[in-house]
Amino acid sequence: MLVEAAQADPAKFAALYELHFERVYGFIAGRVPDRAAAEDLTSEVFYKALANLKNYEWRGTPFAAWLLRIAANAIIDRSQRRSREHSLTDDPPDPAVHLDIRAIEHRARLFRLVGQLPETQRRVVHERFVDQRRTREIAQRLGKSEGAIKQLQLRALERLRAQMGGAHA
Amino acid sequence: MPKRLPKRRTLAEQVEEVVQAMLVSLQPRPEPAPHRDLGPLLAIVRELRYLPRQEFRAALKSDLQRRASVSINKGTESSAAAPAARAIHYMRPGFTSITPYIVVSGASQFIDFLRRAFDGQERIRVPLPDGKLMHAEVAIGNGVIETADANEQIPPAPTDIHLYVNDADATFDRALAAGAASIYRPTDEHPSGDRWGALTDLFGNRWYIATPKGWTPGPEGLRSVQPYLHLREAHKMILFMEAAFGAEEMGVHKSPEGRVVHATMRIGNATLEIDEAHGEYQPKPCHLHIFVPDADATYAQALGAGATSVEPPTDKPYGDRSAGVKDPFGNTWYLNTFLGR
Repeated sequence: MLVEAAQADPAKFAALYELHFERVYGFIAGRVPDRAAAEDLTSEVFYKALANLKNYEWRGTPFAAWLLRIAANAIIDRSQRRSREHSLTDDPPDPAVHLDIRAIEHRARLFRLVGQLPETQRRVVHERFVDQRRTREIAQRLGKSEGAIKQLQLRALERLRAQMGGAHA
Repeated sequence: MPKRLPKRRTLAEQVEEVVQAMLVSLQPRPEPAPHRDLGPLLAIVRELRYLPRQEFRAALKSDLQRRASVSINKGTESSAAAPAARAIHYMRPGFTSITPYIVVSGASQFIDFLRRAFDGQERIRVPLPDGKLMHAEVAIGNGVIETADANEQIPPAPTDIHLYVNDADATFDRALAAGAASIYRPTDEHPSGDRWGALTDLFGNRWYIATPKGWTPGPEGLRSVQPYLHLREAHKMILFMEAAFGAEEMGVHKSPEGRVVHATMRIGNATLEIDEAHGEYQPKPCHLHIFVPDADATYAQALGAGATSVEPPTDKPYGDRSAGVKDPFGNTWYLNTFLGR
């Protein structure tokens, strides 16, 4: 439904983006060396999806799989582009082999649950894992003790674990 | 020797240590008394390393909306639309935050050595009319070494490098075959716990060749190339790096007298190591190239922390904004911000 709506009116593409961003980003992020590359490729995937939306047809392939196919190709293209820079220990990934839908769904669900954490816990998780700040620095920024930040981090992780129901990727 | 009983730490502390280690791709210390919930929580931690930036998510969404509206108005996709959400990253692709810039006499021969000894892959070579090299880049593992020929203004500055490899013994032998001289062969007896050997090359650089326990090769593992600085009053370097570059200490091991036995300092996504100069491991002022989000701001910060100016920030023709400072120990730091072009 969302796909047909967006095909008829590209302005509705945002709804598809909201639905699939975590899947695409999570899939890519696990297969490229850094955040910069993950962001570049994620942008590329959605730009391509938007540009080619009219070509998407429901033939038993879910839209998410179509997007992930674009993402896998983007990862392969990137690794080929960079192969001259790669060394022996940095083998190009093989996303076709590792396209594990269960793991992708697991990660996407976890990312969405982070957005539902209580505000302070959510902020600690983002500052710690995204901004990679030390607990000492987060403590200063939030006006709390370092011990309190470690506790907030622990509580956030425990809550996420409980909500994920002990499922493992 | 009497063994100290392991101190049981809280789950929050155990989690924090592993989180910190994971974020910088280093192996955590083995936990003497792991909490039973530690394992399941780490499965979550591993995934959270990939958590997206909310700012990026929002920026890409608005960019897509803008593109969608352009495509409605024009009936076609606009290829001219500026990719606003495409982050302009401050690090030049293919680089980490810290890269040693090794100035030598005979840069071409040095590159040849890196190729033969360490499988170095030459990426860029900028020769001068006389055949000397103005600049070159060689990738080793997931790191990079930059090099140039010395000249009257910039004399040779050999550097000590801690090189992580898949097989320390094999790499060591290749380096010897390529002309390096052994200081000591790889051994399991090194205090780091890694399999570790040391050698010098013909250009005066010292190489610590190591294979850590639990080595994960590739971009998600340890950085292959880490500068290693032997310093007098090394503890002052920790303070300087924190103040000048916002570096973070990853682990500082001091003697009872306060001497730095070993410290790992992180800037951005890479690390370097320092210790107090001792024996034959004496200071060798060297050149280091770091990528920072704002070269101007870091330059000002470094001067405030006691550095002296080598070159104020300028836009370089190769697409970086770059500044240079000298630290109180005599090392030169090039502070670059990739401008995305």
